[in-house]
Amino acid sequence: AAGTPKPLPSSGPKSLREMPHPLATSSSEEMGPALTPSPDLLLPRSIADKDLSLPNGTPVDTSSPASSSSLLNRLQLDDDLDGETRDLFVTVDDPKKHVCTMETYITYRVTTKTTRAEFDLPEYSVRRRYQDFDWLRNKLEESQPTHLIPPLPEKFVVKGVVDRFSEEFVETRRKALDKFLKRITDHPVLSFNEHFNVFLTAKDLNAYKKQGMALLSKMGESVKYVTGGYKLRSRPLEFAAIGEYLDTFSLKLGTIDRIAQRIIKEQLEYLVELREYGPVYSTWGGLEVELSEPLEGVSACIGNCCTALEELSEDMTEDFLPVLREYILYSESMKNVLKKRDQVQAEYEAKLEAVALKKEDRPKVPTDVETCQDRVECFNADLKADMERWQNNKRQDFRQLLMGMADKNIQYYEKCLTAWESIIPLLQDKPETK
Amino acid sequence: MEECLAKKMEITVSEAEKRTGRNAVNMQETYTAYLIETRVVESQNEGQCAPVDSLWRRYSEFELLRNYLSVTYPHIVVPPLPEKRADFVWHKLSADNMDPDFVERRRIGLENFLLRVASHPVLCQDKIFYSFLTQEGGWKEMVNETGFQLKADSRLKALNATFRVKNPDKRFTELKHYSDELQSVISHLLRVRARVADRLYGVYKVHGNYGRVFSEWSAIEKEMGDGLQSAGHHMDVYAASIDDILEEEEHYADQLKEYLFYAEALRAVCRKHELMQYDLEMAAQDLTSKKQQCEELATGTVRTFSLKGMTSKLFGQETPEQREAKIKVLEEQIQEGEEQLKSKNLEGRDFVKSAWADIERFKEQKNHDLKEALISYAVMQISMCKKGIQVWTNAKECFSKM
Repeated sequence: AAGTPKPLPSSGPKSLREMPHPLATSSSEEMGPALTPSPDLLLPRSIADKDLSLPNGTPVDTSSPASSSSLLNRLQLDDDLDGETRDLFVTVDDPKKHVCTMETYITYRVTTKTTRAEFDLPEYSVRRRYQDFDWLRNKLEESQPTHLIPPLPEKFVVKGVVDRFSEEFVETRRKALDKFLKRITDHPVLSFNEHFNVFLTAKDLNAYKKQGMALLSKMGESVKYVTGGYKLRSRPLEFAAIGEYLDTFSLKLGTIDRIAQRIIKEQLEYLVELREYGPVYSTWGGLEVELSEPLEGVSACIGNCCTALEELSEDMTEDFLPVLREYILYSESMKNVLKKRDQVQAEYEAKLEAVALKKEDRPKVPTDVETCQDRVECFNADLKADMERWQNNKRQDFRQLLMGMADKNIQYYEKCLTAWESIIPLLQDKPETK
Repeated sequence: MEECLAKKMEITVSEAEKRTGRNAVNMQETYTAYLIETRVVESQNEGQCAPVDSLWRRYSEFELLRNYLSVTYPHIVVPPLPEKRADFVWHKLSADNMDPDFVERRRIGLENFLLRVASHPVLCQDKIFYSFLTQEGGWKEMVNETGFQLKADSRLKALNATFRVKNPDKRFTELKHYSDELQSVISHLLRVRARVADRLYGVYKVHGNYGRVFSEWSAIEKEMGDGLQSAGHHMDVYAASIDDILEEEEHYADQLKEYLFYAEALRAVCRKHELMQYDLEMAAQDLTSKKQQCEELATGTVRTFSLKGMTSKLFGQETPEQREAKIKVLEEQIQEGEEQLKSKNLEGRDFVKSAWADIERFKEQKNHDLKEALISYAVMQISMCKKGIQVWTNAKECFSKM
């Protein structure tokens, strides 16, 4: 039953009444043939909600563990590389400095182009500052606790060491913010998050922010994922493996970061010496007659190599290091999500045990424990799907990053090669020809 | 003109050997001996190879030879010896005279020295030089018997002349200035080059760390693993490549060093000119004053103040006979002096002529050699760039397979 695109369910603060059937098709082809809604398929649930029922009022079947959000997550994994199936495009550009009485800050233009029904208009252009991105990330973490939220570039910079308003810093940050939004855009669940929508579209984000806070305090309901202090006995193997992987991964990235920094440092010291080296040939050229031009040529050549080296070091600092650091931050936040998952499982196991200890002869497991079981299973499913997606993206990102690093080095050597090759004829020049 | 020795004879310094012996004060010492091999080139008998003669010499004997040549041919820019002690080293190179790399480079430098002398139109004909190459025993005695040490000008004398000479040939003054500047600029260049080499070494070697960490990282990856691992290998190759690159560059540094030391040889010729010119000026001055004295005595007028004149005034005039005797002595001296001045003048002009001819020859040699050195340096840089491109292209391909 193809129909108008409906927002995909999210585990956000929407009430179930507002949610359409999870697998209602959208106008895009990404869902393939229309999937008829089946009462056996589980509704995604807001894990914070207590009562779970279909829009028509029937109770929910809690037997099947797969949450549809993760199902969709996995389905989309195969399709999302095809640009044609995309229906949402977001870009961050045009940084501008704002000087106010209280503070000075930078805003970035966030442009959205979309055909999704969740958006009233096909295009949006808003201005956002870092703290808005930070707010968005926090909101996503709160409202989508079972998903991996992409990292933001570092919030704090040591004043005096880094110039927050330098072109290089702003550009590096812009790229990171752009990447952040693109990662959310590519995520089949996160991209439909309400806060994300508002972030992209609202003229006055601050008003929404305040409203959001008020609503929450009114409802007296914290969307935050608070489980009691339950301790998990043992992590299931697959999640333990993920945890170990992330530990080693971030360790290795840290080492690579240090090596890259060391290389840049050595290159800059090399550059200092080269800058003294080149001009000495020029001085010598001034002493000579016949050798004057060749020596000047060598001096100029070394100068060109200096410029090329400077460019290489700059590129590595601005393009290579920030991405490494981003992935280290990503790993950290992912490890936290793993811990949250542990918490959810711990709560479930504790409650299950408590029931077992009571030794009451109950025909059914109490709803309280069922809820917990659901939570665990949803969390596990969401996390697994996100991990797979993350692994794939990570591979692509690093492939691009490392190829880029190799490219920059190749370009550096090519520039130097051109410089040296061009002076060979000058050096071989016979004085008779003059 | 007789053909240069270099064309008639193959000369190589083929080996270096560590030796121990007793020195002049009967103390044990270690030194390096170098094997000089010579072979006469037979142009007619193509298939036949003349036998190789060889003998061992140590560095101090080379020094003796060079000193002899410098003193005996002061108008020639005598080729310099390679450095006695390792200078301008960058950190990885050893400053130890016994270090095999240093010894090897010195061997090449000594061979180069012999070839330079053998291809010099004047120096190659020297008998002492020929004996150095062919006569093992008794050579030192032969050199000392020439008594060349006596001909050597004292340093003090030379310094004095430099300060006091009034009319040196302008070309020599300019040349001395040039050789000072040349020495200064090449020293600077060599020092900075050594630092550049040090830093470049650091850059390359740190990349080796990528090799290890990529390998460790690849262990936890599935699809990415192979690409990372093989890229890491290329990083190791990159890090290792710098050793050969910098070793080759040392040859360039040695070429520059030769001309650094040549500057000193140039200065020596200029100093000799100044000395001769000063000598000439002194002789001319002496002659003039004697002539004046003679005139005064003859005419009885005292134009110049002299102690003798004063004392004779105080203690009475000389007798005519005494005066006559004095005039006669002076006239003799003046005649002698004029002949001497004539020959000194001739000597001086000959020196200037022959020295300048050799200097022109040297200039051409220098321009040619340094151009070649710069070309070979550029070629080395090109080779280094190409290697760099190759390695990173290989690494890029590995990354693309991730």
